[in-house]
Amino acid sequence: MSVVDSPPAPPAAAPAPGATVGKRRRTTGGKAPYVLVVPSLLLLAALLGYPLVRMGVLSFQQIGLRQLFANLPPENVGFDNYTRVLTDSVFYEVLTRTVAFTVVSVILTVLLGLGVALLMRRVWGPVRIVMIVAMMFVWAIPQLVATQTFRWLVDSDFGVLNWLIDRIPGVDFANHSWFASPIQGWTVITAIVVWAGIPFIAITLNAGLTQVPKELLEAAMIDGASAWQALRRVTLPILKPLLVIVTTLSVIWNFGLFTQVWAVRNGRPEAEYQVLATWSYSLAFKNNNYGLGSAIAIISVVLMLGVMVFYMRQMFKIGDVD
Amino acid sequence: MVAVAPQTAVRTRRRQTRDSDTPTVGRSVAGTIFANLGGLIFSLVMFFPIYWVVNTAFKPAPEILQYDPTFYPHGFTLDNFKSAFNAPFFQRDLVNGVLITVGAVIGALLVGFLAALAIARFRFYGRKAIILIVLSVQMVPLVAVLIPLFLMLQDYNLTNSLLGVTLVYIVLILPYTVWTLRGFVQGVPRELDEAAAIDGASRFQIFWRIILPLTGPGLVATSVYGFIQAWNEFIIINTLNDQANQNLMAWLMQNQTSKGTFWGPLMAGSIMTALPVVVFFLIVQRNIATGLTAGAVKG
Repeated sequence: MSVVDSPPAPPAAAPAPGATVGKRRRTTGGKAPYVLVVPSLLLLAALLGYPLVRMGVLSFQQIGLRQLFANLPPENVGFDNYTRVLTDSVFYEVLTRTVAFTVVSVILTVLLGLGVALLMRRVWGPVRIVMIVAMMFVWAIPQLVATQTFRWLVDSDFGVLNWLIDRIPGVDFANHSWFASPIQGWTVITAIVVWAGIPFIAITLNAGLTQVPKELLEAAMIDGASAWQALRRVTLPILKPLLVIVTTLSVIWNFGLFTQVWAVRNGRPEAEYQVLATWSYSLAFKNNNYGLGSAIAIISVVLMLGVMVFYMRQMFKIGDVD
Repeated sequence: MVAVAPQTAVRTRRRQTRDSDTPTVGRSVAGTIFANLGGLIFSLVMFFPIYWVVNTAFKPAPEILQYDPTFYPHGFTLDNFKSAFNAPFFQRDLVNGVLITVGAVIGALLVGFLAALAIARFRFYGRKAIILIVLSVQMVPLVAVLIPLFLMLQDYNLTNSLLGVTLVYIVLILPYTVWTLRGFVQGVPRELDEAAAIDGASRFQIFWRIILPLTGPGLVATSVYGFIQAWNEFIIINTLNDQANQNLMAWLMQNQTSKGTFWGPLMAGSIMTALPVVVFFLIVQRNIATGLTAGAVKG
């Protein structure tokens, strides 16, 4: 348990074996674990570590078509890329949009997921099975396929959603284009993400709920607690570690939103549909401005760092209780 | 339909919380009926898009392109599947996709299992650091490092090749593989190792005769999940490779961008692309659910 609550940072500076004889902890296996770990570390270092470093370097360089084709060495431009990004009003628009989407979609997904998980405890067995089967199918659908599906559902000419809304008396939704207004377009994107995100959260939380001891809830009830109080004071505290993890994961995933926007806008998102990930990608691979794209990617990762550290602390708390 | 979903579910949630959470105390009949109704409506809303894809895929073109939709294919046809299957690059991308995915899964499994063993079975300096690395790289979106990755693979002539993208996919699924297998290896009681060691088994024998067979189901589940991740990826391959070296997901993405959208073949193509993933997922879903949350609730 001593390891459990320590911040994850210190052990990163892994001391060489035997270096810290004074504070020596019990180790097992001798050299074996190091040999076992080497291939994974090599791969990660080559294809993730090195690119990360190189991305850092790139973000201080001017590298575009000219440098690529003329085989010129990239030009060092210092903080130019960062200054350009951070003084660009577009950046703040994109950032605000990304954050707003993340907040709204995560709140919706987690609340609905929790609601569905609680509902699953309440319904009859067969209904629960129906719910699980429906969610399993949704969970299994690849993001891109889900997005294509929703594009078809909201198609302006022959989409079933327009037809359905059109049934409402007094509403004319024939040939309504959902992507003409960014608010409506973002509603669709959020719907795709939330729809696809609910199963993971609901099923995970439902599994967590089965671990809540019945006796505790019954005792609370007998003591006169209302259902709301029982939920607040008994169920949620027990569920908290899981809730924290699924929420953090959702934040990380949704902040990195790419596929849904990309597919919904046919690989050419307009200004109102750009989020950090798509913007960085567009600048790098459509405008061939790799330096600027890298700077944005770095900024995005840095912005997410806090959440990531938090997530890892949670995982350490749970994962190390062996 | 979709837009209605959130409200329904929120309402049922409130109703749920106002009622009781315990199985025995304070449950009203009306509340139970409402809850069940809510559950069914929720299932319906969730499943509707999937039903609609299937419904569309089996309709002939004129029936798809009519304003009043039909809720089952009146003129049932397999034409959409045929035209998707015979569309340019579909079969080639299918083969590519299978090769890349299988290669990546095998690679990640071989490499990742070793690391998982080390983390789960040994105490050594740097163990926490390695867990930290595994957990943190899982969160670095690969799209973020795509820029340097592209330039780097270009230097080694690994763009426009299946090998390059397979290597990238190994790294894509490696962190998850290590982390999940670690859980499965931990699930094998240490006492078994010790008993075997007392009986004179070597370390390799312990691995081969005890840990490997007992983590078998875990290996299957992990590889299936790896398969799903690699199969579903399209941004990286789309960026790194030219048109001849794409996978099915990338096909599905490019298919729409060319000239308008042919919804029938697109939906049929979606079904064919998603089918292996859905089937695999449903087979191992129990393991995936437990894998993701392993240890999260102290039992």
